[in-house]
Amino acid sequence: MTVALIARNTFREATRDRVLAGVVIAGVLLILATQPLSPLALGEGQRLTIDLGLTGISFFGLLIVLLVGTSLVAKEIERRTIFNLLSRPISRPAYLVGKWLGLSGALWVVAGVLGLALWLLLVARGLASHGPAVLEAAYLAGLELTVVTALAVLFSALSTPVLSALYTLGFYCVGQWSWDLREFAHHFPAALGSTLAVVADVVPNLPIFNMRALAAHGEVTTLFHLGLATVYAVVYSGCVLGLAAAAFESRDFK
Amino acid sequence: MQSSIPRPTGRSVSGQSAATEVSTPAVRTVGLAKSYRHPWTGKVVTGLEALDLEVVRGEVMGYLGPNGAGKTTTLKLLTGLLKPTRGEAWLLGESITQVASRRRLGFLPEQPYFYEYLNALEYLEMAGQLSGLGAHDAHGRAQRWLGRVGLGERPGLILRKYSKGMLQRLGLAAALLHEPDLLILDEPMSGLDPFGRRDVRDLILEQRERGTTVLFSSHILPDVEVLCDRVAIILNGRLSRVATVGDLVRGSRQQVEIRCTGVRPLEIVPELRDVVRRHDHPNETDFLLDDDTRLDETLAWLLRHGAQIRAVTPQRATLEELFLATAGGTVAEPSHQERKSA
Repeated sequence: MTVALIARNTFREATRDRVLAGVVIAGVLLILATQPLSPLALGEGQRLTIDLGLTGISFFGLLIVLLVGTSLVAKEIERRTIFNLLSRPISRPAYLVGKWLGLSGALWVVAGVLGLALWLLLVARGLASHGPAVLEAAYLAGLELTVVTALAVLFSALSTPVLSALYTLGFYCVGQWSWDLREFAHHFPAALGSTLAVVADVVPNLPIFNMRALAAHGEVTTLFHLGLATVYAVVYSGCVLGLAAAAFESRDFK
Repeated sequence: MQSSIPRPTGRSVSGQSAATEVSTPAVRTVGLAKSYRHPWTGKVVTGLEALDLEVVRGEVMGYLGPNGAGKTTTLKLLTGLLKPTRGEAWLLGESITQVASRRRLGFLPEQPYFYEYLNALEYLEMAGQLSGLGAHDAHGRAQRWLGRVGLGERPGLILRKYSKGMLQRLGLAAALLHEPDLLILDEPMSGLDPFGRRDVRDLILEQRERGTTVLFSSHILPDVEVLCDRVAIILNGRLSRVATVGDLVRGSRQQVEIRCTGVRPLEIVPELRDVVRRHDHPNETDFLLDDDTRLDETLAWLLRHGAQIRAVTPQRATLEELFLATAGGTVAEPSHQERKSA
């Protein structure tokens, strides 16, 4: 109940923020902009549209996480609105989970709106058969944003908005290369190699959420992949939020 | 403020549990302490030192102290916003380490801040639900309380457009919406105009009537004097004194003022010079005695020299003067000029 109330309030905060509306409009414009660019793609116009559209969902979602998510808790502390919440019968872990759920919900809406815009464009171009692939790719992009939001909540609970944006972006970038990092680890001396392997294990395994290349060709992924990605997102986010809750529990609000 | 006051629904406590509840203090702290360590220098700053305090159920206690004395630190420790370095505390019998301790608590922080994107109705509904009310109940109470604190005319106005005084009223409504058994208010009169202060005073008195325990800090001592059963004075993080307002005031020296006319050339005789001070005004002369032990002797002396006595008035020290005396380490003494202007 408490978690749902905080989630609803956070969702309301995010969706009433002009940033979100601006980002959605920019995303839709990007998807539309793929049309005049299609002829330049030398017969790969369909691929360009899907690839750029799905990249737009991830990119603009990340932008919202960086602009809104990384100040989610820090702003509440700075503006002291957190006093009104935590002086009520609300546990600090419930507060953090509520914040995460609320922003994740807003990001799912963004992913949904942009995914729908992309699908409508494909339908208009007679490529309705690509719908399931686009739907799956948008779903995985939503999961990716959910994981990154958990990291943003962790850093926001412990640091300033600027620093938490930098940390979140750092984890996102390294997370995108986590497979390469694990591969590189085999080619380095043992000490450095094991360090890289640890880093690859700690950062989120974001390539698991990337099926843009498949979707660009209209191919769907397996249910096993979707299930695995879902379980991974839930477990990784749970671990990150657990860490955030442990650190947040002893924090003073002066 | 309008008169549509939400009435208490009554509290369902019975038998042994009721007796236990009544005998448990509303607030109890044992050795409660808070210190802060600077992350770089390692220097430790003490915010509160071993506070032992009990607030009895149903009483209104004023928590007084100069800026930086530790008032807000104490209130934040009690409400879970700060974690104690040492010691323990209980609210209505529940340890402050438990979330349940805040179930029957209403808290107004100093200079409350709110979500600017919400309107007052939305905020109060959320506050009520977070304190355990159902959605329908929270909606009804939010509407009533908005009217009660004079904000009912434009419930859809977003909080970004609220003035400081309006936000303070909203904060009070949010603290009272769920009819808490314990109310903790940090500077509730702060930022309010005289009408707002009167309204807050009325609200606190109303809460006292319905049996709510109130602990509040304030710098506006005349209000504290009117509202409080007891006051606790904290200085430099240490509890200095806890007493009823009456005991504090009765314990102070009671000066006596004699207002006369027709005494302009009269000099105070040497044997009275240590206890009597003279203040000349255009149409009268006042004599201020440190206490009433030599009142008869002074009156006789004045009458003997043809003075016309207009009034003899005992001068009770106000809470403000007693507080200043305690805080400043000086003897409480009413200011003659302040008395005259009052």
